[in-house]
Amino acid sequence: MWDWEVKKDVPWFRLGIRELFHYKDLIFRFTKRDLLASYQQTIIGPLWVVVQPLLTTLTYVLIFSRIARISTAGIPPLLFYLPGIILWNFFSECLMGTMSTFQYNAHIFSKVFFPRLTVPISNVLTCGFRMAIQLLVFVIIYIIYSLSGDYDLSIGAVIGLVPVALLVCTGFAFGAGLIISVLTAKYRDLESITQFVLRLFMFAAPVVYPSTIIPENLRLLFWLNPLTPAIETFRYAFFGSPAVSWPYLSLSMVTVFILVLAGLMVFKQNEIKVMDTV
Amino acid sequence: MSDVVIQATGLSKRYRLGVLNASSLKEDLILWWQRTRNPGALPEGEHSFWALKDIDFEIRRGDVVGLIGKNGAGKSTLLKIISRVVLPTTGSVRGKGRIASLLEVGTGFHPELTGRENIFLNGNILGMKKHEVIERFDEIVDFSGIGAFLDTPVKRYSSGMYVRLAFSIAIHLNPDILILDEVLAVGDAEFQQKCLDKIKTMTEEHGQTILFVSHSMHSVKTLCNRAIYLERGQMIAYGEAESVVSKYLLREQVYVPVQEFPDMMNAPGNYTIRVNKTEIQANNRPVSGPIDIQDDISLTFSFWKLVKTRTSLRVKVVVINFLGEGVFGVHSREVTCEEGLIHGRCRIPKGFLAEGSYIIHLIFLEEGGKVLFEFDHGLSFEIRSSRRVSNIGRWQTPVHPDFPIVLTQTT
Repeated sequence: MWDWEVKKDVPWFRLGIRELFHYKDLIFRFTKRDLLASYQQTIIGPLWVVVQPLLTTLTYVLIFSRIARISTAGIPPLLFYLPGIILWNFFSECLMGTMSTFQYNAHIFSKVFFPRLTVPISNVLTCGFRMAIQLLVFVIIYIIYSLSGDYDLSIGAVIGLVPVALLVCTGFAFGAGLIISVLTAKYRDLESITQFVLRLFMFAAPVVYPSTIIPENLRLLFWLNPLTPAIETFRYAFFGSPAVSWPYLSLSMVTVFILVLAGLMVFKQNEIKVMDTV
Repeated sequence: MSDVVIQATGLSKRYRLGVLNASSLKEDLILWWQRTRNPGALPEGEHSFWALKDIDFEIRRGDVVGLIGKNGAGKSTLLKIISRVVLPTTGSVRGKGRIASLLEVGTGFHPELTGRENIFLNGNILGMKKHEVIERFDEIVDFSGIGAFLDTPVKRYSSGMYVRLAFSIAIHLNPDILILDEVLAVGDAEFQQKCLDKIKTMTEEHGQTILFVSHSMHSVKTLCNRAIYLERGQMIAYGEAESVVSKYLLREQVYVPVQEFPDMMNAPGNYTIRVNKTEIQANNRPVSGPIDIQDDISLTFSFWKLVKTRTSLRVKVVVINFLGEGVFGVHSREVTCEEGLIHGRCRIPKGFLAEGSYIIHLIFLEEGGKVLFEFDHGLSFEIRSSRRVSNIGRWQTPVHPDFPIVLTQTT
């Protein structure tokens, strides 16, 4: 008989998917807004999307490959670092964006109702769009290297698993971000802590080194990080080495699925409630 | 046509006071512990207050409901709960149909984006789909009158343009329920009138329900058929607008036609001036309600001058409206006087002040213009017109002074 009801307790398991679907235009609108607004008043504008990871890659080539002489598993350093950096940047942008949902939008959230999930979802789309462009640049560089014939680069059948690797990455950042967003809304300390942990976390994933250099006794712990199979699958698809571990990839999919579900539930439970404390 | 569209039952909202810090983590843990041991109980935290307490009401389709009460009475909290941006602590609100709320002007506008892009953004935020915005786009632009600036970033808009665009979008959402929180006060008079007309047609022709906060008793009485009167979170009255407004004015003593302080030591003032009495009269009779626009208004006041020496002083009478804007001020001539009681009198000719509510401040100045004492809120009153004033065109002015304009034919 009633169309809507506002009361203290939000039932668990009500994820509001239908409501979210009604607001799908808003999700795309937010994405467009973020893409348009982030390059206002810059000189090279959207080119930053490509320039930033390339600069980072060149830095890493210099530091980790030339100076520290960390193995790149026989792959040209530029090609080795680029996908790791692209995936890592995507992961960390997604996570940071999702976790700041309430802080950055407190002003709007305290004045208008709309499903709050539209904001982190559009953030994922924005990051995804940037990553897609970066991957395109990677593919171009990859083709140039292949044509030069100096290296033996072979695309394996695993290329079909690239979307899976990207989804694991996305889900990990999104699910964890949703949970942290609710916690940081109240205790801001968590934001600084997360930023710090995230910086260290990059070295726990095979971004600047191949997974083969990890000593045997740490390998289990290392592979339990869902980012490891994601990045390694991605590399394996393009370079045919080092090997991807199937059980760990499957496990990471399960872990991430549970994480996303938990994140959605925690977020939906608290999306309005946290407004009293933001 | 008279079914209930919003129903609030046992609605309460408690806010926590003070800053969040380490002790709030401790308090959280204690509250959580109490709640797990004794579910259902609402532990009374020491640093909290009730913004709303046990509110029950029903609003029917087509009602225009005014929310009145002083600042901090809980009006905005109530609108926020109905708009689903905060959750109640207890109780619930249920309703039918789509809600559009304008709790603030231009929420969600992105300053860097153009008016055109912001219409889409804001429309989507308020729950319109893309095709709905496209269908109503021309109407929105038309109503807002910002056509020429459609492709300018809104950060270059004036505040008036901001309001007009925001309001146009909200109104063209065709909501079943429209919620407004004092947003109308921002626009210019012409646009306000346009909005009020639009609200009238919305409710009369389409049966839309409107809920709004206003500090203008005049607009509540003319626009609303129902009113809710809140005071410190409690609902004091809910019913027919006219009677609720009267109750509000009576209870809050908004209209104070006379103030008297017989005891000099407790009278408002300082060591130079103490106010004895202030009174407003209409046609030389004491005032008990609104004053007719056709009545002569006289202000009389008396005060003690406590300065022992013979000095000169003057009095300034300032009339402000209920928005806090000064309407006019007049100075007395400077008089030299001894210590003692001094009387003053000022006449405001009939028809000079427009309809509305006014407050009088008295300012006492010594020679050279230094302020001795300001008696704020000396008196307050309302001017009402018994018959419809003829249309005065675009500009509504607060005063209608009576000095001649001379026309001479030259050719």
